[in-house]
Amino acid sequence: MRIMFLGTSSNSGKTTVAAMMCRYAAINGISVAPFKASNLSSSWHITGSGSPIGIGQAFQAVASGIAPDADMNPILLRPEKEGVVRYLKGSPCAISDDAAFSEVLASFDRIAGKYDLVVCEGSGSPVELNLKGRDIANMRMVRERGIPSVIVGDIERGGVFAAIYGTWKLIPEEDRRYLRGFVINRFRGDISVLYPGIEELESITGMRCFGVIPYADLRVPEEDTSVSEVSCREGLVSLDELLSACRDSVDLDGMLRISGT
Amino acid sequence: MKPVWSRVSKEIEGELAGTNTSCPYHPSHFRNQECTFCYCPFYPCEDPDLGEVAESPRLGRIWDCTHCNFIHRKDVASYVHGRLRASGISGPGDPALEELFRETKTKFHRKGKAVMILGATSDAGKSVIATAICRILNDRGYSVTPFKSQNMSLNSRVTHKGHEISMIQDLQARAAGVSRPSFRINPILMKPKGDGMSQVVLEGVPAGDYSSADYYSEFVPGPGTDALKRSIDFLQSRYDFVVMEGAGSPAEINIYDSDIANMRAAKAADADCILVVNVEWGGSYAYAVGTLDLLHPEDRRRVKAIILNNLRGNVSGMRAAAEELEEMTGVPVMGIVPHLDFDLPKEDSESFRGVKSVGKGRTVVAVPKFPRISNFTDLDPLLHEDVTLRFVSSPEEMEGAAAVVLPGTKSITSDLEWLRRTGIAGRILSLKGEVPIMGICGGYQMMGRILRDPFGTEGEPGDTEGLGLFDMETEWPGSGKKTERFGGTYIPTGDPISGYEIHSGMSSSSETPMIKTRTGTEGSIREDDMLFGTYVHGIFDKPGFRRHFLSKAGCALSVEIVDHDDHVENNIDKLAHGVMEAVDAELFDRIFMEGRL
Repeated sequence: MRIMFLGTSSNSGKTTVAAMMCRYAAINGISVAPFKASNLSSSWHITGSGSPIGIGQAFQAVASGIAPDADMNPILLRPEKEGVVRYLKGSPCAISDDAAFSEVLASFDRIAGKYDLVVCEGSGSPVELNLKGRDIANMRMVRERGIPSVIVGDIERGGVFAAIYGTWKLIPEEDRRYLRGFVINRFRGDISVLYPGIEELESITGMRCFGVIPYADLRVPEEDTSVSEVSCREGLVSLDELLSACRDSVDLDGMLRISGT
Repeated sequence: MKPVWSRVSKEIEGELAGTNTSCPYHPSHFRNQECTFCYCPFYPCEDPDLGEVAESPRLGRIWDCTHCNFIHRKDVASYVHGRLRASGISGPGDPALEELFRETKTKFHRKGKAVMILGATSDAGKSVIATAICRILNDRGYSVTPFKSQNMSLNSRVTHKGHEISMIQDLQARAAGVSRPSFRINPILMKPKGDGMSQVVLEGVPAGDYSSADYYSEFVPGPGTDALKRSIDFLQSRYDFVVMEGAGSPAEINIYDSDIANMRAAKAADADCILVVNVEWGGSYAYAVGTLDLLHPEDRRRVKAIILNNLRGNVSGMRAAAEELEEMTGVPVMGIVPHLDFDLPKEDSESFRGVKSVGKGRTVVAVPKFPRISNFTDLDPLLHEDVTLRFVSSPEEMEGAAAVVLPGTKSITSDLEWLRRTGIAGRILSLKGEVPIMGICGGYQMMGRILRDPFGTEGEPGDTEGLGLFDMETEWPGSGKKTERFGGTYIPTGDPISGYEIHSGMSSSSETPMIKTRTGTEGSIREDDMLFGTYVHGIFDKPGFRRHFLSKAGCALSVEIVDHDDHVENNIDKLAHGVMEAVDAELFDRIFMEGRL
């Protein structure tokens, strides 16, 4: 059982939605773990066994009620002086994209073997024409492991319908069957204003809207250099607040269903 | 009024004047205008395509040519000059003169070319690209006007005729070289007041408060649509180019038909469109494709180019993808614009959301970050000196501040309450006499003893106690708003001050006035306590007062003295240059210059 959250851009809210999903599943007694193939960041969390992973995945692990593990985020891309350097579980590695992808799949399979539900997060947008063929964190992962996917769009800057539609459109037709729905994030105001747009988008893409997440000032640890106990506790409090604010507007059970749970 | 024909005769006898930049009135209409006919031979033509009837306080009903550029076009001036020389027209009343006017208008007058800059999102860089295009076209000698039908912003300016428009359209008018912009460049300004309500300023004048739902169901179909059409007609008949700016994304399919800021405005002006996508956050191809595909087919046909904007990184790495985007959409990519280094006033408070400080100077100026902060571009010029602006939300953050500036606010009572609740108010009072404290507009009103709002203009009706730094009372009379350009001199030093006032509360102060104007005084000052207060936005633009104020804060003044207007002017040039470097000049000309060279 697995689900993938893809973003229409970086910072669209994938990490938060995935954390909500982890928390919701854990509260409902499902054994759950997060996963993100690769993460571009200059800060990370060090796991108990000494491996660095993305801050987001460490927090999602805590939200899942488990300890952060190196397999949850096997590849880190770190901007350094000479350009972006790829780290595999903490060590710089100059292997091919394909070899790196094999490592990613091995990590995913280990996680999937230990937990009932794997909540995956993509990286950036899955349809960057300039990265085509080199992107191992999004559709390649989805295809290879048949992961039902949900697109997360950020409405705060506007253009969210175009962003979700454009993402769907640019995903090759044979892969669109994995796209099961979308979520609109960071909305302020009266949700009913959105309905005509949501209905139109559902009818032209065949994806279903799993909900609208209200704007929240999350204290989720994202920029910290390590996930301290304090920042996690604060993060969980605000995640729970967000979950309860979404009780009526987001169909988390629906998303659990498409994951195969 | 008749034209002063003796002057016109001299103009006819003389040669074509070209652009007379040494004239103290230049540009009387637009930068790079043809100045041959300072006195128009056709005045008063009474042609509504060119001028309009206006009430002058001194002269009564007059024919007003403020926004007419016709006789200042090079081709028109040259033609009229030649014909007048050859014809021996005797003067006003000569039927041949009227005939010449009709002939000239038929030959030369046409609707201006409208091009709309659309964005895939807000913050895509629409207004920046529009500003650049205004300057590029004006540099080529054309009369150019910006336009945005509806803008939501708390940064506004006042026109020469006392109308309120958005700050950014005023800036674009400056880039376009328009000397006296009309309210028609931004007929609808929405000023969010919080709690989901916005004050709507229609054609420069407040027209009531609307909720979002009422705005779309009542205002847009009626007065909004009418104002849009009036403005577009007015501008297109007067300018060679109307550079329009959309709002947010044009592809919001939930409100598509009631959106008058994007495709409906483009349609009304029969505008070609350019779609700007900010590539900084990724997903830009999806945003571009999605935006185009969600437009109605007749609207999509208007989109003639895409600009990929704000690239931090290697342009060559994006070329192949840009070509693929062109193939996929059939719309050419006009350019990949790199992240440009320029310094111009920013559109809205979104731009500094999360930003705690600006600048790297040694003198810290604390600015309370009011929840409804407005006209914060007033503070920009302080950064020409050795200053850091620190936006504070708690008294602790004021540690080390060498000066305090209370900026304007859209909701004075709730922001004053915020100032007290956070403890910043108390800290400010304890700094009295220690560091200079300055209030501008709403911030100035807060510095008084009491704020009387019996009609609830600013919030709940009633009196609110002010900070009591000045012996001053402010009252909201319940209706009316002062919107005026301002000029005067700072009394203690005689330095010039210019700017504008926008406020509905009126203050009576028993303090020493701060500024002398032609007809009276303005503001309050207590030099011993280093307290300053004024309604004038733009108070720091001129270097004299700015440096005086900062010297009280112990700021080491820079050797170079920067006039903020010059700084803005230079940065407009820098921006225009950067954009032109990055775009395909041939495609630019195809879109803008078709049938016009």
